[in-house]
Amino acid sequence: MEDKMVAEMPWLYTALTAYALATFVAIMGVARTRGGAAGAAVSRSYEPLVLGLITAGVVLFVISLAERWIRIGHGPFVNLFELLVSQLFSLGLVYAVAYWRLPVIRPSAIVVMPMMWVLGLWVLTLEPVASVYPPTYHNKWLWAHVGFGKFFLAFCLIGSGIAGIILLRKLPRLVPLFRTLPPDEVLDHVAWRFMLLALIFDSLMLIAGAVWAQDAWGRYWAWDALETSSFLNWLMLGAAIHARLTYRIPVHVGAIAIIAIFVFAFFTYFGTPFYSEAAHKGVI
Amino acid sequence: MIAVLKRLASIRLTLLWMALLGIGAALSYDNPVDTPVWVLVVPLALLGVNLLAAIITNTRINRRGGLLIFHVALLGIVVLAAFGRLTHMEAHIELVDGMGFMPERLINVRQGPLHSGRLDQVHFIQGPYTVEYRPGMVRGLTHSHVLIPDGAGGWERKVVGDDRPLILEGYRFYTTFNKGFAAVLTWMPDGGQPETGTIHMPSYPLFEFRQANRWTPAGASEEIKFWLQLETGIDPEGAWVLDARKSRGTLVVRTGGRRVELQPGGTVRLEHGVLRYDGLSSWMGYKLYYDPTLQWLFITSMLGVLGLGIHFWKKFANHPWPQPDDGGKRSERDASRGGKAIIEEGRVI
Repeated sequence: MEDKMVAEMPWLYTALTAYALATFVAIMGVARTRGGAAGAAVSRSYEPLVLGLITAGVVLFVISLAERWIRIGHGPFVNLFELLVSQLFSLGLVYAVAYWRLPVIRPSAIVVMPMMWVLGLWVLTLEPVASVYPPTYHNKWLWAHVGFGKFFLAFCLIGSGIAGIILLRKLPRLVPLFRTLPPDEVLDHVAWRFMLLALIFDSLMLIAGAVWAQDAWGRYWAWDALETSSFLNWLMLGAAIHARLTYRIPVHVGAIAIIAIFVFAFFTYFGTPFYSEAAHKGVI
Repeated sequence: MIAVLKRLASIRLTLLWMALLGIGAALSYDNPVDTPVWVLVVPLALLGVNLLAAIITNTRINRRGGLLIFHVALLGIVVLAAFGRLTHMEAHIELVDGMGFMPERLINVRQGPLHSGRLDQVHFIQGPYTVEYRPGMVRGLTHSHVLIPDGAGGWERKVVGDDRPLILEGYRFYTTFNKGFAAVLTWMPDGGQPETGTIHMPSYPLFEFRQANRWTPAGASEEIKFWLQLETGIDPEGAWVLDARKSRGTLVVRTGGRRVELQPGGTVRLEHGVLRYDGLSSWMGYKLYYDPTLQWLFITSMLGVLGLGIHFWKKFANHPWPQPDDGGKRSERDASRGGKAIIEEGRVI
């Protein structure tokens, strides 16, 4: 077992603290809107602080990743520890940009940040052991594949955050928390926009992954566990979009579908590669 | 005809065939070898028909450039993938240092019924290779040297390995973990012409302690057992490089109750002739892959994503992102426009 206090760990702890503070401030800020009359002015003074804390967390994760990169000699592409840290960075970055540019989604921080904390708590249970970089990972398409995948997961996460608000608003006690937000129909529209973006990046991820697989293992598609899981995720997303376009699916059902797609993507990312014996695992 | 096409283009069928494809993919999950190919081919074919009918009849698709490009690309991917399976070829080959590629030496050949590549035009000569190992016998980069025709009657040196295949005439040769050593032997039969060949030993270092093989010379009654004692510098605890040029091998020959150790150049008198151990060589195992649709698949899928991107870009530009404070007002305003509410905007995308 390696010493836990390797170079990247202090930065990791600090980054997680920043995300925890962002979560706390977001929840307190949203909670303050409770009890106001409909249409009354609501203070948004907490929002810059939330954005600042998330941004600080992202910067600290970058430093943590850089320290680890220097220590073990390669990027965060192989074991679960480094994949989780890398995702905490990229999910935070995309969410921070969305939070900054789209004020309508800001209350979703009370759903999105706890979701990120699932990753945060998970990474705290893992040892920061150095991983072995497989020879087939020296390929530029790996970067494209991973990069597109990060955007896909981030857009799914934001869609799920908004979908989470739609579902939370079903609880009468929580309705006042989100009174500054547009009606569910508008939130549903926004959430599905993110899922449409997710579809584009999911498609790009699959294409880049296929090119990489062709170079790395001499086949572009072999229905291994991770490929199949990713394809099912793409199919779910495509089917959900088609169903929503065609049928008048109740908003809360659409919200559940978005969260289901995100959960499936989550297990595809953080589950399949680590139980499957597929080449993706890196044992080649 | 149009009525039939419209029925075939039904989005209910789209969802049904998608579900069927999902079930097929789930059945293949982590076990594609034992799963009948029909669980994927049938729903893909049905989806292809559904997609074609929708492209022809559905104005929500064929009057929107981006969406049309995306759906045509999806259909193109299905067709190209099917054509690729019909024309593909996969095989393996082991090539000894100094040996030219010979199609007749391919093993484990699998090919589609329409395969018609120019394998006979593929020429290259295998050279030496190195494989880096990290502590704990973890395989690193492979550098396999080959000579390929330079187009001017000479040969051009090229290094391939891992994710850098050798591509000749559309055939892609990938180095594999399967590589090892070979003993170069010359058999000089009594009263006959000498013949030089190689005895391949099992993959190294996977079978480090089983570097053995056997051979029976023509006309002989007893087989010859070979065992190669290698000095490769292997270091299970540290980093090292597998390089046949820096390795040495003693060949142990057993036949008829005799045991002889040969160094390179050494000979042994056997029942019907003399066997000479010329030296140590190495062989590299390649995976061969051929699919003429690869580039077209890539172009088609990228065009599809581009079409989807264009479509969404236009949609998003026409309907700006809502702001937190105007949600209620906007809904009222939209409702006052005769039911063209924002929820409808969402469905139109």
